[in-house]
Amino acid sequence: MSFADFRGSGPFVEERPVLSGDRIADLPDLEGELEVYLGGGESGLYRDLIALLEDVYPEFNALIRGFGAAEAANTILTEGESTPADVFWSVDAGSVGAVADEGLTGTLPAEVVDPVPDEFHPNDEWVGTAGRARAVPYNTDVLSAAEVPDSVMAFPETAELSDAMGWAPTYGAFQAFVTAMRVLEGRDRTETWLRGMVDAGVSEYNDEFLVSNAVAEGEIAAGFANHYYALRVKAARPEAPLELAFTGGDAGALVNVAAAAPLASSDDGDLARTFIHHLLTVEAQEFFATRTYAYPMLPGVPPVGGLPPVDELNPPALDLAELSEVQPTLDLLRETDVL
Amino acid sequence: MAPGEDATRPASPVADREEEPDSEATAGLLLGAAAVAVAAAVLSPVLWLLLRAAETGIAEAWALATSATALQVLVNSVVLVAVVTVASVVIGLALAVLTVQTDLPFARLWTVAAALPLVVPSYIGAFAYASAFGPQGELADLLAPLGLQVPTIYGLPGTALVLTLFVYPYVFLTTRASLLSFDATQLEAARTLNHGYRSAFRRVVLPQIAPGVAAGALLVALYTLSDFGTPAIMGYDAFTRVIFVELGTFGRGRATVLALELLGVTALVLALESRVGPEESTGHGSAASTDAAIKLGVLRWPAMLLPALVATLTLVLPVAILGVWLFRSGPAYAGGGIAFEWAYGLNSVTVSLLAAAATVLLALPVAYYAGRSDSVAAELAERSTYVGYAMPGVVLGLALVFFGTRYAQELYQTIPLLVFAYVVRFLPQAVGTTRSSVLGVDVDLVGAARVLGEGPGGAFRRVTLPLIAPGLAAGGMLVFLTTMKELPATLILHPTGFTTLVTYIWRVQEAGYYGRAALPALVLVAVSGLSMVLLLRVEGTDE
Repeated sequence: MSFADFRGSGPFVEERPVLSGDRIADLPDLEGELEVYLGGGESGLYRDLIALLEDVYPEFNALIRGFGAAEAANTILTEGESTPADVFWSVDAGSVGAVADEGLTGTLPAEVVDPVPDEFHPNDEWVGTAGRARAVPYNTDVLSAAEVPDSVMAFPETAELSDAMGWAPTYGAFQAFVTAMRVLEGRDRTETWLRGMVDAGVSEYNDEFLVSNAVAEGEIAAGFANHYYALRVKAARPEAPLELAFTGGDAGALVNVAAAAPLASSDDGDLARTFIHHLLTVEAQEFFATRTYAYPMLPGVPPVGGLPPVDELNPPALDLAELSEVQPTLDLLRETDVL
Repeated sequence: MAPGEDATRPASPVADREEEPDSEATAGLLLGAAAVAVAAAVLSPVLWLLLRAAETGIAEAWALATSATALQVLVNSVVLVAVVTVASVVIGLALAVLTVQTDLPFARLWTVAAALPLVVPSYIGAFAYASAFGPQGELADLLAPLGLQVPTIYGLPGTALVLTLFVYPYVFLTTRASLLSFDATQLEAARTLNHGYRSAFRRVVLPQIAPGVAAGALLVALYTLSDFGTPAIMGYDAFTRVIFVELGTFGRGRATVLALELLGVTALVLALESRVGPEESTGHGSAASTDAAIKLGVLRWPAMLLPALVATLTLVLPVAILGVWLFRSGPAYAGGGIAFEWAYGLNSVTVSLLAAAATVLLALPVAYYAGRSDSVAAELAERSTYVGYAMPGVVLGLALVFFGTRYAQELYQTIPLLVFAYVVRFLPQAVGTTRSSVLGVDVDLVGAARVLGEGPGGAFRRVTLPLIAPGLAAGGMLVFLTTMKELPATLILHPTGFTTLVTYIWRVQEAGYYGRAALPALVLVAVSGLSMVLLLRVEGTDE
């Protein structure tokens, strides 16, 4: 196995800088059988990465169970101490947090969690493995970087953005963003913001890839989307007049992460911890960065597309577990006729 | 559900025959015990719900169950069930009468087309509809250049529409079975007595097929209560969706209370149905006539519009959307671990066959007991098999996780426990069809076998079993095709590393590879479709 096996392909790979962080060769070998509960999405890629690790270590064998993130967490919560799982790895940090809250997770050593910024491991029970940042894709033919407001709350009143914005209200990540706004700014200000956006003539799209694509096409000047959709557009069309802006310290700058935790009842805790350590190696982080355009958790592995590394982002101070309170958000979106 | 149900003969209770009271009584006792044991087994997951709810605390659980939100959800669910059931009866009854009793052209083709929507998983149907009728959907894209606006179909209208389109076949199938065993000479007799068709239908046909219609309507109502995918995708706050949201926020206590409330509604529906559905009795009709009873005349060709419209909405549209997905590119990155393997199809078929066999085996004592005994125990045993059918798959899955990890570690995450989950979910489908055919067996035939020296077991094997075999087969096939498409319990309880068509579809769909979901979805529909054609064959053998 070489580093190239972990790295993806495509236009972003040529411009990769020198990366720093723990490497697989620095870590103890993975050996034995490990049962991993995988929560949700991208499980195809997570399965791929685990298969690569199995290739590196012929003595290592992973049993993988795929679920939705919430189902996986509820299953572990119901199994309790009897869970056959050694590791819980989920695309949604809230689901891992829920398992940790019940005292079902073990702890991770400092050498595993310390390289990751504190926001993405509030304690040593779980650690973020890759992130997705809320971002503002904008069309560089229409707007300059300076014309995109620093505060997400200012968007409805920004004249340049009137009748030129797009969003995807049915999409889960957008709803998490509104949930974050509700938690950070309160319900009333969120309602005012939603109504302001509707009055400013925001266009609705089915998903955030379509939002990002519409920005690249010049159909709209800017939009709200997870950062990787713009990168997907750029991967297909490197010349597209599309860049990403990040707001500062508010819901618009939310970073949600996939997270992993060792389970307390595992009969091979060392293997579980070493496995999670492997998810935070330069190789694994480069895998996430170049194949899914996810945000790497190591400052020494910057994201593709010239975006700032994870420690230069300015996410809001927010317990990611609170993002699971989607129901009041849906009520609000319906009340304001956004949904 | 109701082949052979007719009311031409009075009941002959088993107790009438006095010979060999000992072996008769022992056999009856064993049968009753077996039926009660099966009912108790499939009711056992309810225990877990009660345990969980108790953890929440009685006061809190009560406050939650009677909160404004919960009451709103209750009203929403009841409205949804009523709309879907009525609409399904209208469509199912109309299509059954058209295909069985009239000279509709290509009646065979329309029969298959009318039954097939049952094989389309409702979550795929809902996705197809959301994708077609969404604000930026395929239809909107298609019709926009023509200046046409597509009405969006979220909320109650969308949920009711999609559910009706994919579950009405329950009514169609049960009504069709009743019509097939209905003695058409009675209808002719009524008409020679100067009743118009409508009057004859109301006075002669309807009373006799009512049990069949009611049985189908019951399955529709309970399926509607238990379906997760459609209300979730269409954004309608029915019980299942709210339970799902609670589980998503790890409010298992609240989810449990809502699930219990849902089961309360189920019990109500069951009680209601047993009052509406007239008492059936045993007997046999004269050979059913398949000659068209009604000549449609000039309406013969236009009448095809109805089945054609339904087939377009239920089959052509979803398959077309799957086709669009097949050719649409996924995300720009190269994903893996998701190459389709034909073994997944084999896994689905294997586990569904096991589920069908186990379900039929367990349905037999319950159905036989219910068909032959008027006792309260028999009725209760039969009714209680329906409870699991209305239990959302996720709730059942978690109940069995609890059971498995606490009391049956060796069975946890194995095929037997997964198959048990399917039995709990789908037992009533087999109980219904089997019971109807038990009712259709002439008890005098069994008596004759006994007089000729057969014991109760021998008489059952040599006389009853061959006669009820079509009912058993029909039940088995219904279970087979519903197991093929079951998702939530499969996802929670499958053995690690055991991938089926639906878990694969779920996996690629989660990752955004709609294109890759299309092929296994089409395989699923094709395999289940084949079993549906077989089912219709089995039911048609008494022609």
